[in-house]
Amino acid sequence: MASPGGQGGVLSTRGGGATRRMKWALELSLGNTRGRGDRQGGQGDVVYPIGYSEKPVPDTSIQETDKNLVEKRCWDVALGPLKQIPMNLFIMYMSGNTISIFPIMMVCMMAWRPIQALMSMSATFKLLESSSQQWLQGLVYLVGNLLGSALAIYKCQSMGLLPTHSSDWLAFIEPPQRMEIMGGGMVL
Amino acid sequence: MAKLILLLLKCIILCGTVSAVFEDQVGKFDWRQQYVGKVRFCHFDAHMQSSKKVLLATESNVFAALNTRTGEVLWRHVDKTGPEGNIDAFLQNGQDAVLVVGNGRFLRSWESNIGGLNWEVVLDSGSFQSACLIGQQGMVKNVAVLKKTAISLHYLSNGHQKWIENLPDSDTVDYQAVYSGGNSEVYVLGVVPHSHIAIVAFSGDDGEILKQSSVEAPWLSSIPESCQMVDQDLLICVDSTTMSLYTLGLNLQLQMDQIPLQSLELEVDPDFRPSLVSHQPNPAKQPHSEFFLQLGPDHYVLLQFNNGQIVVLRDFKPALLVSFATTGEKTVAAVMSPKNKTASSINLFNAETGRRLLDTTLIFTMDPNGGKPEKLNIQAFLKKDDSVGYRVMVQTKDHTLTFLQQPGRVLWTREEALSDVLTMEMVDLPLTGTQAELEGEFGKKTDGLMSMVFKRLSSQLILLQAWVAHLWKLFYDARKPRSQVKNDISMENLSRDEFNLQKMMVMVTASGKLFGIDSKTGGILWKHYLENIPSNAAFKLMVQRTTAHFPHPPQCTLLIKDKDTGLASLHVFNPIYGKMSHVSPPALPQPILQSLMLPFMDQDYAKVLLLIDDQYKVSAFPSTKYVLQHLQEMASSIFFFLVDSNQGRLSGYRLRTDLSTEQIWEVALPTEIQKIVSVKGKKPNEHVHSQGRVMGDRSVLYKYLNPNLLAVVTESTDLHQERSFVGILLIDGVTGRIIHEAVQRKARGPVHVVHSENWVVYEYWSTKSRRNEFSVIELYEGMELYNSTAFSSLDRPLVPQVLQQSYIFPSSISTMEATLTEKGITSRHLLIGLPSGGILSLPKMFLDPRRPEMASEQSREENLIPYAPELMIRTEWFVNYNQTVSRVRGIYTAPSGLESTCLVVAYGLDIYHTRVYPSKQFDVLKDDYDYMLISSVLLALFFATMISKRLAEVKLLNRAWR
Repeated sequence: MASPGGQGGVLSTRGGGATRRMKWALELSLGNTRGRGDRQGGQGDVVYPIGYSEKPVPDTSIQETDKNLVEKRCWDVALGPLKQIPMNLFIMYMSGNTISIFPIMMVCMMAWRPIQALMSMSATFKLLESSSQQWLQGLVYLVGNLLGSALAIYKCQSMGLLPTHSSDWLAFIEPPQRMEIMGGGMVL
Repeated sequence: MAKLILLLLKCIILCGTVSAVFEDQVGKFDWRQQYVGKVRFCHFDAHMQSSKKVLLATESNVFAALNTRTGEVLWRHVDKTGPEGNIDAFLQNGQDAVLVVGNGRFLRSWESNIGGLNWEVVLDSGSFQSACLIGQQGMVKNVAVLKKTAISLHYLSNGHQKWIENLPDSDTVDYQAVYSGGNSEVYVLGVVPHSHIAIVAFSGDDGEILKQSSVEAPWLSSIPESCQMVDQDLLICVDSTTMSLYTLGLNLQLQMDQIPLQSLELEVDPDFRPSLVSHQPNPAKQPHSEFFLQLGPDHYVLLQFNNGQIVVLRDFKPALLVSFATTGEKTVAAVMSPKNKTASSINLFNAETGRRLLDTTLIFTMDPNGGKPEKLNIQAFLKKDDSVGYRVMVQTKDHTLTFLQQPGRVLWTREEALSDVLTMEMVDLPLTGTQAELEGEFGKKTDGLMSMVFKRLSSQLILLQAWVAHLWKLFYDARKPRSQVKNDISMENLSRDEFNLQKMMVMVTASGKLFGIDSKTGGILWKHYLENIPSNAAFKLMVQRTTAHFPHPPQCTLLIKDKDTGLASLHVFNPIYGKMSHVSPPALPQPILQSLMLPFMDQDYAKVLLLIDDQYKVSAFPSTKYVLQHLQEMASSIFFFLVDSNQGRLSGYRLRTDLSTEQIWEVALPTEIQKIVSVKGKKPNEHVHSQGRVMGDRSVLYKYLNPNLLAVVTESTDLHQERSFVGILLIDGVTGRIIHEAVQRKARGPVHVVHSENWVVYEYWSTKSRRNEFSVIELYEGMELYNSTAFSSLDRPLVPQVLQQSYIFPSSISTMEATLTEKGITSRHLLIGLPSGGILSLPKMFLDPRRPEMASEQSREENLIPYAPELMIRTEWFVNYNQTVSRVRGIYTAPSGLESTCLVVAYGLDIYHTRVYPSKQFDVLKDDYDYMLISSVLLALFFATMISKRLAEVKLLNRAWR
C-alpha cells in the first residue's frame, strides 16, 4: 500500500481547477461529492469505514482437491520432456540422415531444447516447490531432458556429425618432424 | 526422316559441353615466347628490294623466317631433334629455300614468303658431303647434292631427279665439295689425304663425266676448311705449314701454283690456322675474284686474283669479323673492327678496290653481359642515290642475334640462348623499396633516440612521397585509354605483389648465359654470360638465401661442372639483379661429385651448401666458424647418397664430425643387365597437408611420407622387345633399405617419373601392347601411425603397404611434373608435356591405385572413380589452349601466395608461363564478381536499418505518450 491515506481516503494529486492550491488532501467527510463517483459508485450515500472492501476476499484456506491438482500439474511439468520423445523420434525418422539444412535445423532444435531446459533447472525446481514429490519429479524431469539430448546426440551420430572417427582428427595431425637430413643424386 | 536424324545428330554434337578460355582471358596471365635456336645458316630474303625477311636454319633443327623490322617469328618449321632433323645445307634462290635435312636424307624446297613446302624428295642413303645450286645461262634450275659415293642433280621446280652418277674411286677418295661456276659443268672435288686432289667434271645436262684428273697436294687434308673457289673456276687453298697460297685452275692446270705468303709481304700469326672467305652471290655466275684471307684472330687481308696474280687490296688489322654482301651489281665487304672495350665499328669497303665507302660506319655496342661477336650477316640495299646502305645482324657467342641499323640503332635483339634452358628456379621478388626501407629501420643497430626519430620521420616521408607519386600515376593513367597504359616492369618498380604471383625466373641455358625473367610479362630483366663454359657442362642451380631476409640480398649459387675434367666452379649471384655477389666462392681444387643444400642457415641467413668431392670429403659454403661448429653438432644426422650410373652403383654416406664421410650402404645394379636412368627424390619445398586418406568407413589410411625416399628407375640394356624391361626401385636414402621393387616386363623407356607425397607415377612404352602406359605406386603406413611426431628412417620397423595400378595413355609424352602449392591443401594435378606441344593438366585422382574395379558404397563415399584402363585426354585439360609449346623439355612448378594457385613454366624450344588452379580458384573472387551490386545492396540495407531504427524509436515514443 503505497498511498498514505489507506483505502478509504482519496489521495488527490490531480491538478483540478478548484484544488489547484492543494498538493494533496485526505477526505474524511462525506460532504464532498468529488470522490463519490469513484468510491461509492452511486450506491447511496453510505460511507464505508476505512479498510472496508466491497469485493469479497477469497477463501485462501488450502483444500484437499487443490493439493491433488498441484501434484498433477507438477507431474505434467516433470513428464513434459519424456512425452516429447516419441514425437522427436518420429521427426528423426522423417528427417533422414542426409546432411541438409532442414535435418540440421531439426537436430539443432532437438539438441538445444533439452540443454536449455537443463540450464533453467532451478526455475523449474521453483515451480515444483509446492509439490510433495518435488525430488522425484525433478529427477524425472532431468532424466527426460537427458534422454532428449541423448536422442539428439544419437541423431548427430547417425548423421555423422560427431567427431568419433580418427578421420575427424586427421586435419590436426602435424607433419612429423624430420630427423635426418638427406640429399645427393646422380654423380654430376 | 534421314535428314531429321542428321539434324538431331548435329544438335547433339553441338550441345556437348564446352569448356574454354574466354577471349578476354587469353594472355592475361600467361605468355609464350618462341625461339629458333642457335643460327647455323642465315640468308636475307633478297629477291625483293622491300623484303622484310631473314631466313634462318638453326642447330636446333628449326627453319624459320624472322621479320627484320620487329624480330618476330613470321613462320617456323620445327623438325625432329637429333641427327634425323639436322639441317645440313641451306641454299637460297629467289623465293625458294632449299634445305638438305637429316644427313642428306631429305631435300626440301620451301616457299619463303609464307613458309609453305614446295616439294620434298627422299634421297638415296649415303652420308651427305655438300650441296650447291647449278646455274646455266644465267638461270638457276638445278641443285646438286654430293654424297659419299654419288652425286645427284635435281630440278629446282619440282625436286625430280635429273640424273644420279656414282663417283669414281669413292672408296679411296674422300669427295668433299661440289662447285658450279655458271656454265653447265659440275665439278666434284675430293681429296686423298696427304696425297692428291681428285677433280671430276660432270656435264650438267646428262651427268656424263667430262673430265677426270688428280693433282698432287700432299699438304691438304680438308677442302672446305682450307680451300675456296674464286674467279673463273679457280681453286685457291691456303696451307699453314708451308705458309703459302696454292691456286689451281680446274679446267686447265694439272699442277698447283704455289704462292708463298712472304712474297705478298704477309705473315701468319703464330699458332694460327689461316682460312679463306670468298663470295659467289649468284650461282649462275662465277664467284668474285676478291677474297679474304684470315691471318690471325683479328687480322684479315682482302686479296684479289687478277690475271694469274694475287694482289693485296687492303690489310685489315685489327678486324674481328668480315663478310661480303651484294646488292644489285655492287658487292661490298663489311669489316668489323674493335673501337674500344665495349664497342666495335662496322665499315663497308668496295670489294673490287678495297676503298672505304663514305658514311657507312655503324657502331655496335657490345653488351657487357654478353658474348663476343661471332658472325656478321649483312643485308645490303641500294639507296635512292645508288649508294649502298646496309643493316647488319650480328651473331654473338651467347647465341644472341642483334639487328642494327646505321649509325648503330638496335632494331631488335633475340636471345636465342633461351631455346635451350637447362634448369631454372623461381625466386620471390623483394618487397617494395619503401617497405624495405621501413623494415631496414628495424634491421639496423640502434644509435640513439634522436637519430631513430629522424630515421622514422624520414622513412615516413619517403612512404608519403611514394604514395603521392602512386596517386599521381593513377590519376594520370586514368585519363589515358586502357590499351596505352603499359605496366612496364623495370628494375626500379620490381616488387612483390599481394599474392606473390609475380616472381623472378632465373634460367640457366646451355650456352652458359643466365637470365632473369619477370614471370608476369616475360620480359628479360637481366642477363649474364658466363664465358668459358664447356659445351658439356652440368649445371645445378640452388637458392641459398631468399628475399625474406632483408637487408641481406637474396643469393643464388650455380654449380658448374666440366664433365671432362670433373672440376667444378661456383657462380654466386643475386637472382633479382643478376649481379655477382660480393661473397667470394671457394676455390674447388678437387673434382666435385654432388652438392647438398642443408636446411639450416648461417648467421647471415644463407643456407649452407655442402660439396662432396671425389675423395668423399665434404666442404661447406659458406664455411664460417659458426657454420662449421653447427655442422659438427649436426653431423650425425646428415646423410647423402651418390648414384653412379656407369658403374650401376648406389651408395649412401654419413657425415663425420671432421667433415669426412663414411660409406654406410651400397646397392649394386649390374650394368650388364640394367642401367640406372634417373633418381628422383622429393622436392624439399613440398608440403603435405593431410597425413592420411579418409576411407569410406571414416577410418584413416595413413600415408607413408618418408622424406628420404628415392625412386630409382632402371632400364634393361637388352632392347629386344620380348626381353626388355623397366624397373623401379624405392630406396630409403638414409639406410639403403629397399622399400619396394617393381619390374615392368616387355617395357621400354624413355621413362618419365614424378615422385611426390606418398606416390610415384611413371610412364613407359609397353612393347608388348605397343602403347604408352602410366603406372602409379602409392605407399601407406596402414591404419595406425608408427610415430606421429617424428620421422626417422633409422627407426621404421614396419614395411609400408604398396598399391599399384597401371593405365593406358593415348599419347607419348615429353616431360611430366606435379603441381605444387603453398600448403599442399589443394588437390594435385600432373602436368604432362606432350610432343604435340600441348601441356595437359591431368588430375591425380585418375591415377589412384585405390580405384576399384566395381564401385561399392564405400568407394563412392570416398569419391573413387571406378577403374578404367584408358586415361582420356580431354581437350579442356590443356592449360595452354592453342599456344603450342614446341619440344617441351621441362616443366617447372612453383607455389604462389595463394593456396589455390600454382605457377607453371614449360620450357623447351619455347617458353610458356601460366597459372593453374587444380581445385579451381576457391580462395579468389571471380573476375566478374559484381562488387557494385553487393556493395550497393549492403549500403541500401545499412541505410534501411538506420531509417527503420529511427522510425521505430519515434513510434515507440509516440506510443508511450498515448
